[in-house]
Amino acid sequence: MDAINNLPVKIADVIRGLFADPNSIWADLTMTLIGMILVIVVIVVAALFLVILERKVAGWASQRPGPNRLGPRGWFQTIADALKLLGKEDFTPGNADKVMYKIAPMFVFGIPILTLAIVPFGYGMTVIDLELGIFFYLGVTSVSTLAFLMAGWSSNNKYSLVGGMRAVAQMISYEIPLIFSLLGVVMLTQTFNLTKIVEAQATIPFIFLQPLAFIIFLICGQAEVNRAPFDLLEADQEIIAGPFTEYSGLRWGLFYLGEYANLVAMCALAATVFLGGWQGPAILPGVAWFWLKVGLLIFVSMWVRWTFPRIRIDHLMHFAWKVLLPLALLNILLTGLGIYIYQLVIGG
Amino acid sequence: MSEMYQEGTEELLLNMGPQHPSMHGVFRMIVRLQGETVTGIEPKIGYLHRGLEKLAESRTYTQFIPYTDRLDYLASPHNNMAYVQAVEKLMGVEVPERAEYLRIIFAELARFASHQVFIASAALDIAGWTAWGYPFRDRERILDLFEMTSGSRLTVNAMRIGGMSFDPTPEFWAALESFVDDMPEKIEEYYNIYLGNEITQGRLKNVGILSKEAAENLCITGPALRASGVQYDVRKAEPYGIYDRFDFDVPVLYGCDSFDRNMIRFLEMNESLKIIRQAMRDIPEGPVMAKVPKIIKPPVGEVYHRVENPKGELGFYIVSNGTPKPERVKIRAGAFVNLQCLEEIGVGTYIQDLICSFASLDAVLGEVDK
Amino acid sequence: MGNNDVLRKRVDELAARVNGKVEEMIDTLVLTVQGAYITETLTAAKNFADVPCDFLHDIAGVDKVTHIEVVYQMTSLRGPQKLRVKAIVDREKPVIDSVTRIWAGANFMEREAYDMFGIQFTGHPNLKRIYMWDDFEGFPLRKDYVTEPVEVRNTMRVRRDDE
Repeated sequence: MDAINNLPVKIADVIRGLFADPNSIWADLTMTLIGMILVIVVIVVAALFLVILERKVAGWASQRPGPNRLGPRGWFQTIADALKLLGKEDFTPGNADKVMYKIAPMFVFGIPILTLAIVPFGYGMTVIDLELGIFFYLGVTSVSTLAFLMAGWSSNNKYSLVGGMRAVAQMISYEIPLIFSLLGVVMLTQTFNLTKIVEAQATIPFIFLQPLAFIIFLICGQAEVNRAPFDLLEADQEIIAGPFTEYSGLRWGLFYLGEYANLVAMCALAATVFLGGWQGPAILPGVAWFWLKVGLLIFVSMWVRWTFPRIRIDHLMHFAWKVLLPLALLNILLTGLGIYIYQLVIGG
Repeated sequence: MSEMYQEGTEELLLNMGPQHPSMHGVFRMIVRLQGETVTGIEPKIGYLHRGLEKLAESRTYTQFIPYTDRLDYLASPHNNMAYVQAVEKLMGVEVPERAEYLRIIFAELARFASHQVFIASAALDIAGWTAWGYPFRDRERILDLFEMTSGSRLTVNAMRIGGMSFDPTPEFWAALESFVDDMPEKIEEYYNIYLGNEITQGRLKNVGILSKEAAENLCITGPALRASGVQYDVRKAEPYGIYDRFDFDVPVLYGCDSFDRNMIRFLEMNESLKIIRQAMRDIPEGPVMAKVPKIIKPPVGEVYHRVENPKGELGFYIVSNGTPKPERVKIRAGAFVNLQCLEEIGVGTYIQDLICSFASLDAVLGEVDK
Repeated sequence: MGNNDVLRKRVDELAARVNGKVEEMIDTLVLTVQGAYITETLTAAKNFADVPCDFLHDIAGVDKVTHIEVVYQMTSLRGPQKLRVKAIVDREKPVIDSVTRIWAGANFMEREAYDMFGIQFTGHPNLKRIYMWDDFEGFPLRKDYVTEPVEVRNTMRVRRDDE
């Protein structure tokens, strides 16, 4: 099992060895480039896979088969969808702000790629092993708020504007409990580095030490990714499609895939910080455990989406500021007390 | 510096146009928004106007029956029943017993189906996608029952002046029995996945308040009136057909909000099942069509007949001048009159609440626009 | 029934006051008045002692070729009384008082009567067309608004026995 576990690391070493000076800046650059391409491929494949998985889960929740015409039991549906989107006309609305209109989808799809670059898939398998891992993650995900606002504002459409405004309100409100829920873990491990956080979970995953933080993280994660019950931003029945109303073809495809990429990134972080990352019994390689955990969280997220109706905007704000934030602060208090008592009892 | 510009917010005029994922048909609303709060609503209808009343003047009485199907197309046997009973009142025709019982079975099945569509679309308006699928799947059984008798799933056209057009086959009765046995637990299931959910209750409670006085002043009828505390059902107030022989309750709720307008339809579905069971038990054998002349020529006169449609009260005012074609047919559509309360329940709430309140009124544009 | 006699008495009194005519058609009392008296008639009907007809069901316009009738159907939510009031208006210039002051729910019904017949309701808050588009010309439900040729309209197609 160790052999398979370390296979990617060995391959990376071999490639590095091809250079004259294995530690030169060119070697580093090439390795990072290969890593980024790998992450992009992983995200794109995952997002495409998630499109059809979501529809199958939706079918399972509604007791119907889901798409089942294209390919074996319908699993080629996404390929057909992607081909259809590629064939659409590429237009920009007349009075839209052209530059912002075209950049917005790139942001939505690009941010999750950045965040997935710091997540360890296995031991020693991060593209960039940042010391400031969690901090970087939180900073970068805040930028996706901007992307929705850009899309909403530049479309020159009242529905998009309302959607964009809702995006700002929602995402800003739910980032604060998200940050505080991660702080508990940081307090326990005294580091922001994701690899060290996973190694600290060798004895017991943090979901058992920080159950409240886990639940808050899942809820805030669902809100950050704009999935039901927090999908006011693209509420079909009220504001048509919110900021995405005027997008079609591949631009819309980028938005759509970007949402799933965001979901993968969020679940990857949850698996790393709370569920123990790549660790697990030796019957499967570490990478497989990691993706199993991510897959489980994604499934739970989809299940919740297809069961609950949508929540209203004032309830949303009330929930974030008056329920989740105090709970997250309470969690920090309890964690601090726990550490203090632990040190009194054990350390001295 | 502050004299150079006034800080403030502008009102946004949002057109929730005829093409919209949740406008229940082709309905258009021009909404004035201040942020997310609605400050004014102007409904604009007429996108589905087909001129049925003008058409009625150049069709015979029997030829007009399929047109009545298309009024409230989700509960078409009801519309048929209202019209043929109005003409029968005008002519003084006695309808055979078996036909009366069959009419009531069809009418209550239609009420059940219409309420199922209501639950599904109301759930869809707040993104409960799973709660949409369950009622539609069970409604297929009702549509199969309709298809067994009259050949058509939605616009049934099963009634004639003087009785019914078809006598159902034995498979119909077997299927109806299994349907009636299966449904009570399905209604529980719909409740659990839609109204019992906390998020739904938070969305619907205390939203879209329509007080009793406002409802009476605005001439609201149907479930919307009963959810505001007024005990009034045409089936009990002025029984038509043989409704006075059946034992059923008329649910009344006092909350006046969208939640009660949703809840009351759940209760009505249970009552419909009661009526269908009693009808199945008591139906006699016999002919299904009375002896009426081939060309229906009612005497000179006029009549106003009303029934309790799932949407409200459906009334037909027919003026006859002794010829085979009516002089005037006026259709009083419940959903049309109920739309007047939209401003009352919508202004001052959020857009999302407006969508929920409009959904709870259950307007079907076929009836609104005639 | 007792209720019907009381109602008949009240309606007769009212008819005497407003120069109206009372008939019984099939199962409803019908009170026919001239258009000018309509507000007085309907307010009185809404406030009948013992048998108030306080719920308005429908306002219909009927084009009898010599005049236009505006027909109001009323019953009560708390009793079995029923009343139909017909107001006669002139066909060339149909003008009548609006009853939105008495029942706010008459709003859409009167708009429809205006749209279809051209009846002007004075005092209506928003008398615009409701079914047809705003620039439409003509009043569709009048008898002289013809949509098919006279020959086709008056042909009766009857199925023969041997078909």
